Amino acid sequence: MSSLTTTSPAKVKAQGVKRSDFLPYLGGKLAAALVSFLVTLVIGFVIFSLMPADPVRTLTRGRPTSEAQLVQIRVQLGLDDPIWERFLTFVGNTLKGELGYSWQFQQSVSSLVADRIGPTLLLMGTAAALSIALGLWLGIRSGWRHGSLFDRIASSTSLALWSVPTFWLGMILLVAFSVGVGPIPSLLPAGGMSDPSLPQEGWAHVVDVAKHLVLPCLTMVLVVFAQYVTVMRTSIIDEMGSPYLLTARAKGLTDDAVRRRHAVPNALLPSVTMIFMHLGILVSGAITVESVYSWPGLGYLTYEALRIPDLPLLQGTFIVFSASVIIMNLLADVVYRFLDPRVRAQ
Amino acid sequence: MTAATYTSAAPKAPRRHAFSRFCRAYAKRPAGLAGLGLLIAFGALALAAPLFIGDDQLNVIKVDGPQLSPPVDGYPLGTDQAGRSILLLVIWGARESLSIGLIATALTVVLGSAVGLLAGHYQGWVGKILMHVTDWFIALPSLPLAISLSAVLGQGAASITIAIAVTSWTATARLVRAQTLAVEARPFIERAKVLGAGNTQIMIRHVLPNVMPLILVSSTLTVASAILSEATLTFLGLGDPTSVTWGSMLEAAFLGGAVTAGAWWYLMPPGIAILIVVLGFTLVGRAVEHVLNPRMVVGR
Amino acid sequence: MGTGNSRRGLAALAVCALSLSPVAGAAAFAAPAAASAASAPQETTLRVKMSGSGVDTLNPFLAFFDGAYDIFAGIYPTLNSLDEYGKPGPYLAESWTQSEDKLTWTFTLRDGLKWSDGTPITADDAAWTLNLIMTDAVAGTANGSLVSNFESVSAPDPTTLVVTTKEPQANVTYVSIPRSGIPIVPKHIWESRAKDLKDVKNDTFPIVGHGPWTLTDYKPEQYAKFDANKDFILGKPGFDHMIQQSFKSVDAAVAALRSGQLDYINGVNATQFTALQADKSLLTVQEVGNGWTGLEINHNARTRTGKKIGTGHPALGDPVLRHAIALATDRKTLVDKVINGLGVVGSGYLPPAWPQWSWKPAAGEETPFDLAQANKVLDDAGYTKGADGVRVDPKSGKPLELRLGIHSDDAIDAGISNYLKGWLETVGIKLEIQTLSMSALNSDLAKGDWDLLMDGWTTGPDPTFLLGIQTCAALPKDDGTAGNTDSFFCDKAYDELFTKQLTTFDQDERAKLVGEMQSILYKADVNQMHFYANTLDVARTDTVTGLITGKPDAQGMYPAQSYSFWGYLKATPATAKTAATSAKEEGGGSLVWIGGAVLLLALVGGVIVLKRRSGADDRE
Repeated sequence: MSSLTTTSPAKVKAQGVKRSDFLPYLGGKLAAALVSFLVTLVIGFVIFSLMPADPVRTLTRGRPTSEAQLVQIRVQLGLDDPIWERFLTFVGNTLKGELGYSWQFQQSVSSLVADRIGPTLLLMGTAAALSIALGLWLGIRSGWRHGSLFDRIASSTSLALWSVPTFWLGMILLVAFSVGVGPIPSLLPAGGMSDPSLPQEGWAHVVDVAKHLVLPCLTMVLVVFAQYVTVMRTSIIDEMGSPYLLTARAKGLTDDAVRRRHAVPNALLPSVTMIFMHLGILVSGAITVESVYSWPGLGYLTYEALRIPDLPLLQGTFIVFSASVIIMNLLADVVYRFLDPRVRAQ
Repeated sequence: MTAATYTSAAPKAPRRHAFSRFCRAYAKRPAGLAGLGLLIAFGALALAAPLFIGDDQLNVIKVDGPQLSPPVDGYPLGTDQAGRSILLLVIWGARESLSIGLIATALTVVLGSAVGLLAGHYQGWVGKILMHVTDWFIALPSLPLAISLSAVLGQGAASITIAIAVTSWTATARLVRAQTLAVEARPFIERAKVLGAGNTQIMIRHVLPNVMPLILVSSTLTVASAILSEATLTFLGLGDPTSVTWGSMLEAAFLGGAVTAGAWWYLMPPGIAILIVVLGFTLVGRAVEHVLNPRMVVGR
Repeated sequence: MGTGNSRRGLAALAVCALSLSPVAGAAAFAAPAAASAASAPQETTLRVKMSGSGVDTLNPFLAFFDGAYDIFAGIYPTLNSLDEYGKPGPYLAESWTQSEDKLTWTFTLRDGLKWSDGTPITADDAAWTLNLIMTDAVAGTANGSLVSNFESVSAPDPTTLVVTTKEPQANVTYVSIPRSGIPIVPKHIWESRAKDLKDVKNDTFPIVGHGPWTLTDYKPEQYAKFDANKDFILGKPGFDHMIQQSFKSVDAAVAALRSGQLDYINGVNATQFTALQADKSLLTVQEVGNGWTGLEINHNARTRTGKKIGTGHPALGDPVLRHAIALATDRKTLVDKVINGLGVVGSGYLPPAWPQWSWKPAAGEETPFDLAQANKVLDDAGYTKGADGVRVDPKSGKPLELRLGIHSDDAIDAGISNYLKGWLETVGIKLEIQTLSMSALNSDLAKGDWDLLMDGWTTGPDPTFLLGIQTCAALPKDDGTAGNTDSFFCDKAYDELFTKQLTTFDQDERAKLVGEMQSILYKADVNQMHFYANTLDVARTDTVTGLITGKPDAQGMYPAQSYSFWGYLKATPATAKTAATSAKEEGGGSLVWIGGAVLLLALVGGVIVLKRRSGADDRE
């Protein structure tokens, strides 16, 4: 922890980062991330080529299909190509930004991902922003006055909510607020992203989307914010014994000011890394929430792909999810370096 | 988890004494005791279940309860679509849910500790490679990976267990490596080396006992997340719908339309059971952590 | 509090705004196009749930999913329509005649019909569409098999379409019908797309077509929006607009229906249906089922040349064992317990939705549920029980331990398999249930690597395809490829009847042949029909009437509506708007939900109390 320094890092930050140190550092991290990504590609491909699959009969179920058609579809989907050929095509295409051709939607996976990434970012972005805000705020308050009633309520509530399976909480909220229970009328829409009978533009649309966003977002926030509370609370408690806080107090600053200007900025440091790493994971956490609420995003697309299973599509979403984790980890490293004077000094 | 070093007793210190001191300290933590109590209660119920739940209550061709009925006489938590008692199903479900959680954790701990120990002890290229592999696995999104793995391995408890282990060992590995590094820097390891102890001996006899408490803490928390993962994977349709686990009960309830039917007696109990058990493991884990190292009150 | 907090608040807001901006941006971008769609207040909209399968693609040459064909049925014309009872009627074609040799069909098309962009519809459009499917492999992806017996299609003049077939074909009038047949597309739009058909997404709105509706907007996994075609030849749609909204969870759709965001759901499950029957503001309707659920038995998988393949249990080749399995299956209980009694006990291979083909075993020939009899026939055939109670096959010496494959995403499969396992255990047959994804299941199926499988098929009014998968021609080749068999069934007499019914033009005569084929299947016990689940629909009574077409039978069951063409066309807004908001009849249930919430709170409270006591330690 940064308890050794009596200057709070928030002030150090203002001096900026020396470029000469930073670029090689960034380069190294970028290279590591790239290697990591390539390894992910290989692992992804291996997993998905092992999967036993005869998608053709599954896809054509429900339509009369002749033998000639079945053969034609196999050729069209490239199912009979040798495995090494498929691997080379796969790596080549991925590096070009093409993620293959979805079996069930019969269009390129990239275009499907492009269609669905917006709703996922909207849901996850909002959920992340809210849970970070809520988690950090609660964490700071609880840590600063740890042992108080506020602390006990905040930390135990978050602990209990953390112990709940996300999809179950989603179902319960769905029943409570959307199906409507007894005297409580149905308050919020049950699924989807917008009400198609309303115009799809303008202010009314934004309000409509926001209404649809409430339940899935609430589910995510409730399950996720606990982690931020715990981390932030711990860091604050760690900072509290630090000499620089005593110095600050001795200077006659109010309790509030000490917390805000000195304790919090220092305590944020360990939380930041965790928050960024967690953001990457959050995107894949979307799978359950989006499935429960029919939110038309990437997680839901994965769920759809799983049904067939539509391997190119699963592979594509897997790559996107991995890439988001890798990028967020990279950002965590970079941000950490910006914030922590000791890391920069090295 | 953080990679902070635990202050552990020197290897020659009397372990029994340390253990009883640990117990006394643990007993002062009511939350930990409550968690332990919950776990013991559930464990006992799960173990004793075959004594009072038999084929007659579980086999769909033998049960004769009302279908999807709210609590009535003889069925304190109502029934499912086949007319089986939800209460008995929840108790029976504890067996499989808990064993999947525990076995997955055992696998996770063994895999993670082995990698962590090796990476910490052999700091040359072996350690580097192992740490790189760990980092790659950390970059893989765990839920999609688990989904893909269990889809590849085929549906069922076994593949879910493996999928959970494969996706969660990295955290243990990192922890154990950090702790191993810390332990190996201490003088008594140096002494052992001078006295001619081999690599294996140092790792097993000297490092492992000192890393053990940390492994225990992390494993209680791993059980909690393994049980959550089991429920999630089963809910997504990767489990065995004919077996009775909390996840499969929720899946059956969800697919079967229990939400529309307002069948709270079907949706609530398995979820609450998961909540209680996960909470139990978390409380125990935090209490143990607190006792071992009072400054580290860390969540998962 | 103070500035620190508000700064963070601002930052959070900024993140929210950022994350919202793509949507806002997209909305602004779409504004000019969609502005005209903003409906005047008195305009009416029918809001229905999109088919559960979803829409795979809007390209009618490539699409396989029901959801896509539901849309095509509304926006693209077909040669023939289909009446409520599954009989072909006029649509683009006004009338049709066959030549003496039954090889040439001449359709007379209506004059004066126009595509939605004003271009006249001619026989050339139909001929071009069908020819493309016949000649181009990609264009034949989805519907090639429907025209595989066509020799040529031509349009000698704008209102005449001539189809010649290679062999006489009785079901030519079923080839281009709404939903299960081939949609006719406008040649002037598609001609330029034919080269790269594989990449055509067909998502320029409004889509140029002709039908009761015009597709004006579509968002994958969200909705499809339609405008009514008030000049539609077969009747004017009762609503001005239609929206099909996608819901993956039917429960979510039901919630939307109850709160008035949706008017109609086709296909809820039995539990949901039973729960909704209590709601007086809703109309609950059962349709005769158009599909079966049953058990397939791998009775020695073979290729076309008779080579054995796969790992099926050898004893299943014995008709006695298969009959014993049928005897040990209580279909009535399956209907009662698995689908709440909302279905018909199974026997014939074709579902009751199409009464003209439906077949039942004569009285006294049905296989009853009789565990004692099952035990007896097995004893008599020499399947003696081993020490563990499992019978042993006298020929191969293998115990009767059979694998039962079920679909992982199907609650009904899981339900049935539990019962089957119980019954078969009592007659000394052990089942190992294997849950498989659809694709893994199908992959095993083709290779013959299975013993028993849960299966289900739905069919349109023409039974040719479903009957066809039981012919010898459907068996795989020696290398394991090709073939679309379901159970490796192959029977000479059956195949002869199959060919004969194809060329039998008299409906009653054909029905008789189809009945004989089903009798052969029934006696073979290879495809054991468990039940035909009724299709269950729910509609709001205060917003829509006339959705359900046809007359109910004595049991109150309506003819199959799965083909929603007429329902959507004939539905009209409910005249007297009963202001009755859906009265919730959950009664005591609500209390318990609240109870559940209280319990949750109590748990949290408990933790708080515990923490309070331990709080002393925290203060270091």
